[in-house]
Amino acid sequence: MSDVPTRDADGMIVFRPKPSEPPPPNTTGVIGWLRFNLFNGIFSTLATLIGLAALIYVFLAFYDWAFVKGVWEAQNRQECRLGKEWGTCWAGVEFWFSRFIYGRYPDAEMWRINLAALVLVLWMAPLWIPRVTAKSVIGLSAVLVFPFLAGYMFLGGERNLFMAAVVPVTMVWFVATMAHVVLCVLTGYGLGRWIIHLTGFGNRSDRAAKYPLMAAAAVAWLLVLFAIRDWTLVEVGTNRWGGLFLTTVISGIGIASALPSGIVLALGRRSKMPIIRVLCIGFIELFRSVPLITILFMATTMFPLFLPEGLVFNKLASAIVAVCLFAAAYMAETVRGGLQAIPKGQYEAAEAVGLGYWKVMGLIVLPQALKLMIPNIVGNFIGLFKDTTLVSIIGLYDLLGMVKAVSHDPQWIGLHHEPLFTAALMFFLACFAMSKYSQYLERKLGAGDRR
Amino acid sequence: MKKILLGMSVGLAAALGLAAVPAFAESTLETVKKRGHLRCQIGTPSPGFYNLKADGSWAGSDVAICRAVAAAIFNDPNAVEFQSVTATVRFTALANGESDMLSRTTTWTLYRDTQLGLTFTAVNFYDGQGFMVPKDAGIASAHELAGATVCVLAGTTTELNLTDFSRSNNLDIQPVVFEDRNVRDETYLSGGCDAVTNDKSGLAASKAGFPDPGSHTILPETISKEPLGPMTRKGDGQWYDIVRWTVFALINAEELGITQANVDEMAANPPSPEVARMLGVEGELHVGLGLEKSWAHQVIKHVGNYGEIYGQYMGDKSPDGIGIAREGSPNALWTKGGLIYSPPFR
Repeated sequence: MSDVPTRDADGMIVFRPKPSEPPPPNTTGVIGWLRFNLFNGIFSTLATLIGLAALIYVFLAFYDWAFVKGVWEAQNRQECRLGKEWGTCWAGVEFWFSRFIYGRYPDAEMWRINLAALVLVLWMAPLWIPRVTAKSVIGLSAVLVFPFLAGYMFLGGERNLFMAAVVPVTMVWFVATMAHVVLCVLTGYGLGRWIIHLTGFGNRSDRAAKYPLMAAAAVAWLLVLFAIRDWTLVEVGTNRWGGLFLTTVISGIGIASALPSGIVLALGRRSKMPIIRVLCIGFIELFRSVPLITILFMATTMFPLFLPEGLVFNKLASAIVAVCLFAAAYMAETVRGGLQAIPKGQYEAAEAVGLGYWKVMGLIVLPQALKLMIPNIVGNFIGLFKDTTLVSIIGLYDLLGMVKAVSHDPQWIGLHHEPLFTAALMFFLACFAMSKYSQYLERKLGAGDRR
Repeated sequence: MKKILLGMSVGLAAALGLAAVPAFAESTLETVKKRGHLRCQIGTPSPGFYNLKADGSWAGSDVAICRAVAAAIFNDPNAVEFQSVTATVRFTALANGESDMLSRTTTWTLYRDTQLGLTFTAVNFYDGQGFMVPKDAGIASAHELAGATVCVLAGTTTELNLTDFSRSNNLDIQPVVFEDRNVRDETYLSGGCDAVTNDKSGLAASKAGFPDPGSHTILPETISKEPLGPMTRKGDGQWYDIVRWTVFALINAEELGITQANVDEMAANPPSPEVARMLGVEGELHVGLGLEKSWAHQVIKHVGNYGEIYGQYMGDKSPDGIGIAREGSPNALWTKGGLIYSPPFR
């Protein structure tokens, strides 16, 4: 380095600061982080070591249980024990695994569940593709239209007049959505634009532009209706549904219905109209103050007693209705909490610019409130997903029910740790994914707060 | 407010109750035939009686009764919808017409036979509560269990029977109560209690799942009577007879030596008049039941006789069995000193 001061053109000495020293090596990088976070003083060091020892101990115990003692190939539980006194019998889980996923659904028909799952993924995926337009329509139809298609695929059988009309609608809708997405990605214009353009209605008025769309939809519907008139799927009764599939159906419907019905109930509870308010409060308080298991028992045990003899309600349907009502009551209070967090000024300002009740709520209040409520809403969903295991108590074979059935099979009698562990793992993966997604949503929707 | 709500709900219930019209104008057999399959109620899985298998099908001795009735009516053992129902609602589900019959470890008692509008048809398994102890404990009789801790399931008659037994014999047994069979068994295995009590069939099933089944023994005493059998609704005599005589057909077939394998040959070439009558070769025995002439033939053809069913699901020879010895038990045929007995087919 130079001791000679630098001078500028006028011969004045220019101040030039020394480059700063690097931080001491033991405060940066991995070592610094370790020192600061784990070995910061005697107690911290001690706690770290004890924690580490406990962690290693638990890990080794688990490793020993799951892998060292693990038996992967056996025909029954006694075989699992040959040579190893308390062998961990993963072979039983392997044998039963498709039951955990599909329940008692016939092997030959399992493709229907897989296909419906694929359709749902394809239907939802465009929501994350940036160039796609009309995302709200796609999202809403995934919730409102897809269930009819899935319902028929799962249940099968002869279509009654309603289903005969609706199933082609859902099929046309799905194909149109896919075509729309592909066109959007490739050309930047959606399906509607293309149809209008190709039929030569592009330069007509907006009103006239509707006609080719309606005509195309009607023609497609009629074609599909005609094409599948003799096509039916084998009927699979709901008493054969089970496993993760049933858990997903129950909690999926519960989750999809909870938010809209929760919003309606929450708005009703804050309404100025006394009858609506009293009804909403009554509903919410009734269902919130009763445990879910009681509601399930009421729906499947007590309710049939009030029905005329011989009239039998489907057990799964009553369970789903019970779960939906329960979830709606809880969601209503979550939403109300969010609504109350919005300052009064927002309502007043919205009214001041001349918006009516629904526009105030839909455009100003709810978008802000829902964003605030994401952690709570997702927390509710995760809770609901796990609560559905209660249906195993009323004799439905959801994931937990199926897992419990293993230990009663004479070939695998008493085997219950391994299946329960497997179910726990599945639940963890599903709930963790939901939780991570909610954090992503929060970051995305909360971008405005960080500016 | 509460009173109003209560009044409203009672009123609603009464209105709906009044609206209930008797829906059983037609007989159960007609309903079942029209539907094309039998609705047979079983319980939540119980090894040997009705349990799920890894391929998703139901198996077990009570399941076989359902299949036998379906075979008698439809000549198809798979024309059954199995309704797996929890124990709390079993009688309701049969009484309200959801199930056509019930075939699930249900003990025949005076109360159940007379006050529920339901009726027991026949006994297909004689169970009874017993005790299991580790062999090296050196206990040979339940009367030696003085002061012992005994593992038992909560909320069942098993628990009540245990206290009764303890009190009437001054044994001061300490019950250790569990909700879950697997947890109970593990506690017993790890030495958490000196003995475990349950119906003997359940003990045998548990024992079969132990790492070393040979080192445990089921004590000879039976402290309760549990005759188990299928039930139907009261008031449809023909249906009652169908279920009752299907069970008898299984038993009688074993007594006459008719098996799944030889039934066709027996029907073609009846060795005795009774075999001929039973398999519908001679006589008009089927008329009262409203079934096909060959109904008993169909039953044995599709599900086997009583002994074959027992061997498959209860015995220790088959992979689906839970290993309960039949010889010397009440479930042996009456000709071999047991209680399994069928009235004659004539």
